[in-house]
Amino acid sequence: MAKNIKKAEAVEPAANTPEAVTETNTAPAQPAANDAPGKEEKVHLIVFKLGTEYYAIKIEQVKEVTVTPTITRMPRTPEFVQGVANIRGDIIAIVDLEKRFSIRPEPMTDSMQPNTTYTLVIEAKEYSIGVVVKEVPQSLNLPMSKIDRTPSFLQDTNIKDNYIEGIAKVDNRLIIVLDMLRILSSDEIKQLTGK
Amino acid sequence: MKSREQEYKEIFIAEALEYFDSLNRHISELEKQPQDDRVLAEIFRLLHNLKANAKAIGYLQISDLSHKLETAFSLIRNRELQFSDEVVTVLFDGIDMLGDLISGIDNPTPVEPDPVLLRNLDIIVDNLSDSTIELAKVQRFTNSKNLSLSDLIYIQIKKLDHMLNLVGELIIDRDRIMSLSKELNNDDLKTVSSHLYRITEELQYSVMDARLVNIGTLFNKFPRIVRDIAFAEHKDINLELSGQDIQIDRNILQIITDSLLHLVRNAITHGIEKPEQRAKSNKPNAGLLILSAQNDRDNVVIKLKDDGKGIDLKQVRKTAVKKNLVSAELADGLPDSEVFSFLFEPGFSTAAEVTEYSGRGVGLDVVKNAIDSIGGRLHVDSELGQGTTFTLHLPTSIAVKGALLFEVDNIFYAIPLIHTEQVLALDKDELHEVGDVMVADLKGETVTVVYLNELLNADEATMKLGDKTRLKGQVQNIVVVSYNNRKLGLIVDKLYRQQDIVVKALSKPLDKIDLYGGVTLLGTGKVCLVLDVPAITRYFIQKR
Repeated sequence: MAKNIKKAEAVEPAANTPEAVTETNTAPAQPAANDAPGKEEKVHLIVFKLGTEYYAIKIEQVKEVTVTPTITRMPRTPEFVQGVANIRGDIIAIVDLEKRFSIRPEPMTDSMQPNTTYTLVIEAKEYSIGVVVKEVPQSLNLPMSKIDRTPSFLQDTNIKDNYIEGIAKVDNRLIIVLDMLRILSSDEIKQLTGK
Repeated sequence: MKSREQEYKEIFIAEALEYFDSLNRHISELEKQPQDDRVLAEIFRLLHNLKANAKAIGYLQISDLSHKLETAFSLIRNRELQFSDEVVTVLFDGIDMLGDLISGIDNPTPVEPDPVLLRNLDIIVDNLSDSTIELAKVQRFTNSKNLSLSDLIYIQIKKLDHMLNLVGELIIDRDRIMSLSKELNNDDLKTVSSHLYRITEELQYSVMDARLVNIGTLFNKFPRIVRDIAFAEHKDINLELSGQDIQIDRNILQIITDSLLHLVRNAITHGIEKPEQRAKSNKPNAGLLILSAQNDRDNVVIKLKDDGKGIDLKQVRKTAVKKNLVSAELADGLPDSEVFSFLFEPGFSTAAEVTEYSGRGVGLDVVKNAIDSIGGRLHVDSELGQGTTFTLHLPTSIAVKGALLFEVDNIFYAIPLIHTEQVLALDKDELHEVGDVMVADLKGETVTVVYLNELLNADEATMKLGDKTRLKGQVQNIVVVSYNNRKLGLIVDKLYRQQDIVVKALSKPLDKIDLYGGVTLLGTGKVCLVLDVPAITRYFIQKR
């Protein structure tokens, strides 16, 4: 638990929603839910923007959030691989999910700082991978029941349905909850080759 | 560092003491169950090994005593000698004596075996189960009951792998600290970091040293293997070994084991002719196979040379054309060294017959891949009628490699020195556009040259490898690499120094990208991509 809180703090706390500051995370909520049926199970998400939409990953899948370090491009790798970067001595691949899912990038506005991006370090079973996002990711706690696991539009989208855990609606925002581990283990990433 | 003999001696003593402990355990067991054949067999085995090891290293007293004991136990095993009280006492005394001899190796005054005991042993062996009249009392040695633990420990290679990885990480951090301390210009920091440098360097060499084994551990398996294959093929082969005491990383030796076996099999079945044929070509009946190892700077070179019929280049050219690897017109003009490289193409075999030992479709490509995987080089040379030589250039250690650093399009790259032939600067006018590629004349040898920036960064659809106008500047820095008997000049933007690097394997999912052998961190903290020469050569051939 403490580890997770620390992870979230890598992002400026001011950016967090009020909910996230008061609540900690899902880990204590789970046993509580079992003990006292009245309390609802909660889920802790890291929310970020791809294109103009909000996406989220469960905090358990996020190892850390950091300002994107210098990325070394790797020629002759798929376009969505931005390159490799040195994060605390580990050299990990940095990917661009907008390119990966052909999401149209948001047009630049004055408030955006094009030179600063953030990297979510995702921890899979055997390795880590970095996902670049343009705005500071936010932390969000919400009850499990807020996530609609079977939205009907899924069959129409080009993001394979099993990458999406569900859709959450919070304060008029629609948040797409991704299952990063599924995305990482998908065949396309596995079969990266130097051509 | 200790001399190698000293190291052998220590290993022998430690092993012998282990044998001694096992012997004591088993003979005590045997005393309780004199009929247990399994225990007898084990004692027999231990004594036999001890005898052989002692003889090999020159401790004849130990090997003689082991031999006498072995004889006694073989009589017991054959039920020709009773494991009775008197005999038991003599045997226990004999084993104690063995222990004294082993632990006395390092004594300044050598321990002599007790003549009374030796006579007793002779008596029980010679008189068989006859009476025991002449057995004399043996003086017990006072110090024989000291307990001591072995100086040698066994360790899983996995643990050493882990240590080596950690050392690699440490070196990367050290280089970073070195470069920071230069920037900060603080005297204390400088002192500490230069001390850190020395310690990590020593640590690195200690860990690398702990992983080294003698090539002999592999070479010494070959006399028997060669004999068996030669026997099955009805051939007469003399095998000459040399350089068994050259040391190499245990994992590298493990990886090339199958390759070497494959090459030896090939040499015997396809290389060396049958005695009748050899007689016709005025060669001695027995074929000669030379397996040698030697050090070459930081590398180890293993050579396998046979005096067989050699490789028929005409046949290789024909097969290459038949397999569509090259057009018929082009095949004739190819230099011999390039023709040899076809041998390493998957599925390429000029041998028509399949035998028990060779030619089952596993080709030289498998050998080449194994050697590529550890960053080594394989070279073949052959003269028709005279024989074939395979040369394996292997790194001594996997972790740290000498490499050449350079820059292309603002990205740092490194190429392991084992693959580099030479580095030179040529004027743009000395490069010529021939067909779709550029060539340059290097000391009389025409070598294909490619602009790395074009190969790596140009849009694949509009890539023009033979277009000189894409080059920047007048003078071109060229790194000539060699792979699979083929040279290729790589034009780089900026050439930097030569440096020892710790190659970190790319983590998933990037590990499947074969263009890069790994990455390393420079002292500045910048990531440097390590180019895989085999893959870059293949990529170039594919795009040409």
